[in-house]
Amino acid sequence: MSLFGTTSGFGTSGTSMFGSATTDNHNPMKDIEVTSSPDDSIGCLSFSPPTLPGNFLIAGSWANDVRCWEVQDSGQTIPKAQQMHTGPVLDVCWSDDGSKVFTASCDKTAKMWDLSSNQAIQIAQHDAPVKTIHWIKAPNYSCVMTGSWDKTLKFWDTRSSNPMMVLQLPERCYCADVIYPMAVVATAERGLIVYQLENQPSEFRRIESPLKHQHRCVAIFKDKQNKPTGFALGSIEGRVAIHYINPPNPAKDNFTFKCHRSNGTNTSAPQDIYAVNGIAFHPVHGTLATVGSDGRFSFWDKDARTKLKTSEQLDQPISACCFNHNGNIFAYASSYDWSKVRTPGPALGAPRQQSQALGSEGLGLSCDSSQDSRVSLGRSPSPPCKGKLQDFLKWLWGFSTAFGQNPAHRKCSASVSHYGLLCSWAQKHRQAGGCTL
Amino acid sequence: MAICQFFLQGRCRFGDRCWNEHPGARGAGGGRQQPQQQPSGNNRRGWNTTSQRYSNVIQPSSFSKSTPWGGSRDQEKPYFSSFDSGASTNRKEGFGLSENPFASLSPDEQKDEKKLLEGIVKDMEVWESSGQWMFSVYSPVKKKPNISGFTDISPEELRLEYHNFLTSNNLQSYLNSVQRLINQWRNRVNELKSLNISTKLSDVKDGVNQAAPAFGFGSSQAATFMSPGFPVNNSSSDNAQNFSFKTNSGFAAASSGSPAGFGSSPAFGAAASTSSGISTSAPAFGFGKPEVTSAASFSFKSPAASSFGSPGFSGLPASLATGPVRAPVAPAFGGGSSVAGFGSPGSHSHTAFSKPSSDTFGNSSISTSLSASSSIIATDNVLFTPRDKLTVEELEQFQSKKFTLGKIPLKPPPLELLNV
Repeated sequence: MSLFGTTSGFGTSGTSMFGSATTDNHNPMKDIEVTSSPDDSIGCLSFSPPTLPGNFLIAGSWANDVRCWEVQDSGQTIPKAQQMHTGPVLDVCWSDDGSKVFTASCDKTAKMWDLSSNQAIQIAQHDAPVKTIHWIKAPNYSCVMTGSWDKTLKFWDTRSSNPMMVLQLPERCYCADVIYPMAVVATAERGLIVYQLENQPSEFRRIESPLKHQHRCVAIFKDKQNKPTGFALGSIEGRVAIHYINPPNPAKDNFTFKCHRSNGTNTSAPQDIYAVNGIAFHPVHGTLATVGSDGRFSFWDKDARTKLKTSEQLDQPISACCFNHNGNIFAYASSYDWSKVRTPGPALGAPRQQSQALGSEGLGLSCDSSQDSRVSLGRSPSPPCKGKLQDFLKWLWGFSTAFGQNPAHRKCSASVSHYGLLCSWAQKHRQAGGCTL
Repeated sequence: MAICQFFLQGRCRFGDRCWNEHPGARGAGGGRQQPQQQPSGNNRRGWNTTSQRYSNVIQPSSFSKSTPWGGSRDQEKPYFSSFDSGASTNRKEGFGLSENPFASLSPDEQKDEKKLLEGIVKDMEVWESSGQWMFSVYSPVKKKPNISGFTDISPEELRLEYHNFLTSNNLQSYLNSVQRLINQWRNRVNELKSLNISTKLSDVKDGVNQAAPAFGFGSSQAATFMSPGFPVNNSSSDNAQNFSFKTNSGFAAASSGSPAGFGSSPAFGAAASTSSGISTSAPAFGFGKPEVTSAASFSFKSPAASSFGSPGFSGLPASLATGPVRAPVAPAFGGGSSVAGFGSPGSHSHTAFSKPSSDTFGNSSISTSLSASSSIIATDNVLFTPRDKLTVEELEQFQSKKFTLGKIPLKPPPLELLNV
C-alpha cells in the first residue's frame, strides 16, 4: 500500500502533502484551472491554430471523451462541446483551418469532429490503439497521419475509408510530431524515424536513438527561417535529447540534458528520475517546455542550453502540455499518468479510486468522485531571461475553480491526502480485503 | 569541420583538442568540457572510441546483441592507461574481436569491457533506486542495440490493459501479470548488476539467447493478456538492430546527404532500405517523372510508370508490380519480421548494382557496368527494361548524350540503346 505518498519516487512534496491538511499543492503556481475538466486522466491537449479567431482548447482523456473549451483573453474558460469515443482518447489535433478536430483513441479508430455541426465521423481504422494523429497540409495534398501500436503509420484522406498510404514501422508508435515538410516518429525499442512529406510521405532517415531508454514524447523545432530543423525527444528516464537533422557539427550540436529529476545537479545522492511526459515548443521564441511525472513543468532554452524556469511541484504528474498559436498561453494537464508501478503492492500503478465512468460498481469498489484531473492554463513566459524567475511568475494568472471533484475531499482529515484517494481506498479496504486497486 | 583522418585510424594525437571532427567520438555529450589530458591519454581515449566507432560501421551485424565496446556515454571518465602505444596490433585484434566476439580478449579490450560493464552496473543501480519507469528497453551506449531481457511497455499500454481487465472483472490477473513483469525486470536488473569481466560477454549474449520471458502483453484484449502475442524482446530487438545497423551500411551515402542526394544512385540503397519499411514502396522506385526535387518524390497520380521499375531491381514479388499505388500493400512486405529478410538480399543487390552504375550515370556508358553486374542479377528483364516499358522522358534521357541531373531514370536502360 505504499504506492502513494510514501514511495521514494514521489519526492518531498508528496510526503508533506500527506501529513498536513492545509497544504494543497494541486495548483501551486496559481494558474487558471479549466472548468469542467475531464473525469479521468488527460492524455493530450491541443490549442486551435491561428486561422481560428480566439483560442480553443481540446483535451482528450481516459474517460473516452474529447472536450472543447473556449479560452478567452481574460482567462475564463467556457466549455463548448464534447464528443465520445468507445475507448480512451490518446491524441488530438486540429486541422489547419480550425474547423475540424481529429481524435485518436484506444478503440483503434480515429474520428474527425466537425465543430460547426458537432458531428464526429470515423476516418481511420487500425488493428491496435491509435497513439498519434496529426494533420498534414502540403501544397499538393492534405491528409491525416495516424500512428498506432500495430506498427503502422497510415495516411488518410478523410473522404475515403482506405488509407492513402501505409508505412511500416519497426515497432509500436509511441509518439510523433509533424511540421511540414518534416515528420518524426519515435517507436518502441528506441526506434526513431524521420519522414519527409513533400510530394508524398516517405521515410527520410532512421536515426540511432540518442537516449538509452524508452521514448516517450517528441516535438519538432524550427530554425530562424521557420523551417523544421530538428526535434526534441524525451524519455522515461528524465532526459531530453535535442537532435538536429543536418547539423554542421553533429557531435557538438546534438546534446541531451537531464530534467525532471529530484536532485538537480547533486549527482552523488540517489535521485528520483521521472518520465518526461510531453514537450512543446513556444511558437515564437523557440524555447521549449517539458512536463514530467514529477508534477513539474520546466522551460528551457535549447540554444543557450539553459533552464529558464521550473514550476513548483504539483501533487500529480503532469501528463500533457500545449502552447497556443501565438505562445501567450501554456496549458498543462495534471493527472495521473500511470507512472507509479514501482513497489509490489496491490495497486501496481492503478489509482486508488475508480471513476464512475469506468463502471466500477461491478467490482465492488466504492465509487467516489473521479481522480483529480485538471487542466491548468498559465501565461507562458515572455522572452527568455535567465535569473528573472520572479518576472515569470508575474505573468501567471490565477483563479481556480473546482471541477469534477468532490469538494469534500479537499477537506478530508489530515491522514487523507487531498488526492482524496485514501478515502476510497479505506472504503475498499473495508470490503473483501486483498484485492485492491 | 573536416573529419580527422588520424582519428579514423585510431591515432589522433590531439584527441579532444583536435580541431577536426571526430565522428561518433563523444556521442551526444556535447557541451561538456573534457579535462585536458596528456596526448597519450587522449590517444588512448581516441582508440577506445575509435574501436567503438569502427565496430559500429564496419561490422554492424556482429554487434547484434553484445560486445558493447567503448565507454558508456554518460561516463566520460578517462580510460585507463593500460594501452600500449604500439597497439596497432591491438587494434587489429580489436577488429578481429569485433568479428568474432568469442575470441579471447587482449587486456586492453578487457579494460574496455570493464568500463562498459561498470557503466551498465551503475545504470542498473540508478534505475532501481530512482523510481523511473521500469518497463523500458535499455542500451548502455547510445549507438548500441538494446540489451536483452527488457521489453518496452509504455504507461499507456499498461493502463489500457488495466482498463480492459477492469471491464472483464478480472483485476487480479492484471495485478498478477504486472507483478510478474516487475519480478522479471528486477531479476534482469540484478543479473546485470552482478556482471563482471568473466561473465560479461557471454552473459549478455546468453541473455539474448534465452527467450525473453513471455511478457504476454500482446494486444489490448483482456483475454489475451497472458498470450505471447507480445513481441518478445528477441525478435523485436532483432528488428530494431537490423534497422539501426542496416541503415548504417545501406545508408552510408544517403544518410549523410540531404534529400537531394536521393536523386542519384544512392537512391538505390536508400530505396532498398526504405522499402523494407515501406509497404507501398513500389512507387518509390519508379522515378519516371522528373520531379525529383526532393527525396523519393513521386506524384500520386502516376502509378503506371512506377510499377515496372521495382521488380526489375529488387526481385520483388510480382504482385507489387501490378498493385495500384493506392492500395495498401502492407502484406506484400509482411510485418516487422520480414524486414530483416528483405533488407539483406535487397541491400546486396542494390549496393552491388548501384556502385558501378554510380560511376557511369554521368557518362551514360552503362554497358560495362551492367555486364559486370549481370552476374548478380540473373534475369534479363531485370537488367534491361524493354523499350516499351520506359516512359517518354526516360527514353529521352537514355538517348541523350548525358543524363540531366534530376531526371536520371531509375530503371535500367533498354538493351537496344546500349553501345556495346
